[in-house]
Amino acid sequence: MANASGLFTPAPPRTCSPCTPIYRSAFSFSPTPRILCSSIAHRAEKLPPSHQAQMVDSRGCKLVGCGSAVPSLQISNDDLSKIVDTNDEWISVRTGIRNRRILTGKDSLTDLATEAARKALQMAEVDPEEVDLVLMCTSTPEDLFGSAPQIQKALGCKHNPLAYDITAACSGFVLGLVSAACYIKGGGFKNVLVIGADALSRYVDWNDRGSCILFGDAAGAVLMQACDSDEDGLFSFDMHSDGEGQRHLNAKMKEREKEHHELGTNGSLLGLLPRGSSYSCIQMNGKEVFRFAVRVVPHSIELALAKAGLTRSSIDWLLLHQANQRIIDAVATRLELSSERVISNLANYGNTSAASIPLALDEAVRSGKVQAGHTIAAAGFGAGLTWGSAIIRWG
Amino acid sequence: MANASGLVAPTLPSLRRRFSPTLGVYRSGFWSYDGVSRRMVCSSAAQGAEKLSPAESKARRLVSKGCKLVGCGSALPSIQISNDDLSEIVDTNDEWISVRTGIRNRRILSRKDSLTALATEAAQKALQMAEVEPNDVDLVLLCTSTPEDLFGSAPQIQKALGCSHNPLAYDITAACSGFLLGLVSAACYIRGGGFNNVLVIGADALSRYVDWTDRGSCILFGDAAGAVLLQSCDSEEDGLFAFDMHSDGEGQRHLKAGMKEDNTDQELATNGSLLELLPKGSSSYSCIEMNGKEVFRFAVRVVPHSIELALEKAGLGVSSIDWLILHQANQRIIDAVATRLEVPQERVISNLANYGNTSAASIPLALDEAVRSGKVQAGDTIATAGFGAGLTWGSAIIRWG
Repeated sequence: MANASGLFTPAPPRTCSPCTPIYRSAFSFSPTPRILCSSIAHRAEKLPPSHQAQMVDSRGCKLVGCGSAVPSLQISNDDLSKIVDTNDEWISVRTGIRNRRILTGKDSLTDLATEAARKALQMAEVDPEEVDLVLMCTSTPEDLFGSAPQIQKALGCKHNPLAYDITAACSGFVLGLVSAACYIKGGGFKNVLVIGADALSRYVDWNDRGSCILFGDAAGAVLMQACDSDEDGLFSFDMHSDGEGQRHLNAKMKEREKEHHELGTNGSLLGLLPRGSSYSCIQMNGKEVFRFAVRVVPHSIELALAKAGLTRSSIDWLLLHQANQRIIDAVATRLELSSERVISNLANYGNTSAASIPLALDEAVRSGKVQAGHTIAAAGFGAGLTWGSAIIRWG
Repeated sequence: MANASGLVAPTLPSLRRRFSPTLGVYRSGFWSYDGVSRRMVCSSAAQGAEKLSPAESKARRLVSKGCKLVGCGSALPSIQISNDDLSEIVDTNDEWISVRTGIRNRRILSRKDSLTALATEAAQKALQMAEVEPNDVDLVLLCTSTPEDLFGSAPQIQKALGCSHNPLAYDITAACSGFLLGLVSAACYIRGGGFNNVLVIGADALSRYVDWTDRGSCILFGDAAGAVLLQSCDSEEDGLFAFDMHSDGEGQRHLKAGMKEDNTDQELATNGSLLELLPKGSSSYSCIEMNGKEVFRFAVRVVPHSIELALEKAGLGVSSIDWLILHQANQRIIDAVATRLEVPQERVISNLANYGNTSAASIPLALDEAVRSGKVQAGDTIATAGFGAGLTWGSAIIRWG
């Protein structure tokens, strides 16, 4: 089928103990015998029997730590009313946002992301050296080639764990979670840092009152860890994209108008060469994006629940991408979830894109709301258009 | 351990049931070596999931998952720039460039061309070769550092391909290692997430970030797109034997295109202090900056070692390698790696003479040409490695077809 989706239901109890711990298998009946082996060790050393026994067990993944970080500069609705034609009441009624944080000139998104990641590692009691994959979910890296390796360096991860960026806008974090689960279950990874961090303030048109009120900067992180399948904490997922909808929400590439270089005197070649690229400010048709979100998100969550063999009553918390309180309310209503089960903090931070879900999760965990064992329906949605939901268990 | 690396799902020599990728119900299981099912992973992925008989359900649960490379494609812009062309705008010449890099020509997108269209063309060709309909694609991974939208370009490719059913489409940013990461990600999605037909596209338009007055770098890069279709299959047909991937953020200073602020765009209103704090116009990235010598040293040091690690994990020796397909950055890097691994010249795939360094596109572009020319054939074992900005590097031992 075109839409394979997430399926991670935990296994029935194990019936026998794992035995001889050789993690190799060979086929003798195929014409070209093929040896499939795996070694998760960096130097492919012989593992002690107990460790190998552990590897034979099938794999689950669990969320064991979270963290977040926000810039210090806060901008209120009143502050904004002084630079564009708007006011606090208009903004808060229509969006639910009262304040947002933004990175100022010298601040670094990479630092913010590193701080969030560090807190997640501390909560999880995992050393940076044990991290074997760093996923940075962002649309606004500080280098064209991505920012994840810089976070890896700043965290002090030795052993050179892979670190790369995922670009999926406001759905980025949910994709990151699912990717981490697939890496753990299908690729042998053990401690995967999933970071959502964005600095949309750098792509906002601060003259446009329709959009500049909405966005803020932040970073959030979760540590996902390999575990036995009976402890598996990512029950199911459902993710999609629809490129047709890009026209409603984009920040397209544009060519710089003035030439920054003096090129030589070959007229025709110069005429062909690119003159440097950059991205426009965020363009959004708010109404269409709103309609899109309230249409696809409840359906996606219901699909994910069905795949997990769960119902709405199993949900302890609804954790949506924090874009607009009216979207959150509409989705909760459609799913018949009472508002005390809905996590919302966008009043303080606005729409922080890929950071919004881990930021909200972190606050809810540290405040004691979300507790170990709680089932969370999480969903991201946004530019692409892309959307996705996952049914997860915290801790 | 800190470095989990390429790990193939354990398989068992018991069931050889064909696993049809088109089936609505999607089940996978893991086996221990002794034949006892450790885990039943049940899932029903599809809308309209059909009911299986209990025997069928059980049988299907017992089949573990592999992935195979079933189609490839590539696409190039039409504008070609030769070394002689470049010698007219910067102080260089054909001999200098070709001796030091192996590059003679490169292609670049014109201002009207679209990288998304190029990537779509490459993907279409891969689907045609694989005989897979766009509607059967359930994941589109675009590996790129140069998308045409801040939020990524993958969904546009999904739309242009005409994939109904809204398959997930997103971008992976890992520079010249991007395609390798894309392949491994696709394998993990298939083995660990139930996906069936994953398009992995490597496409970059580095020409848009090159300083065309800098003779040290403008000679190196070109634009292109390449794609591979990775498909789920029975574990016995699995074609991704092992991988080894790493990053080292310390090395970023040798190869980067950092963000800078553009101060020219906006006129803001008169609140003095807030205005001073707000970003003054959308951010943009600098041109590519590279310390060629350090990057060269890095590549020849890490790549052979990574391939050796991957071979070891796969339980294979260098003699098992039919083809060596490296990221096409510089012929001297390719030669040095081949020499270190003792892979004979005739087993090394190289096409950078025509295209330069096309970043994430370089591996699938080279693979596609080698497949369509008849060099690489079904069943051939390929050692492939990417390396570049991050610094990030990785290798994989794969089978074509």
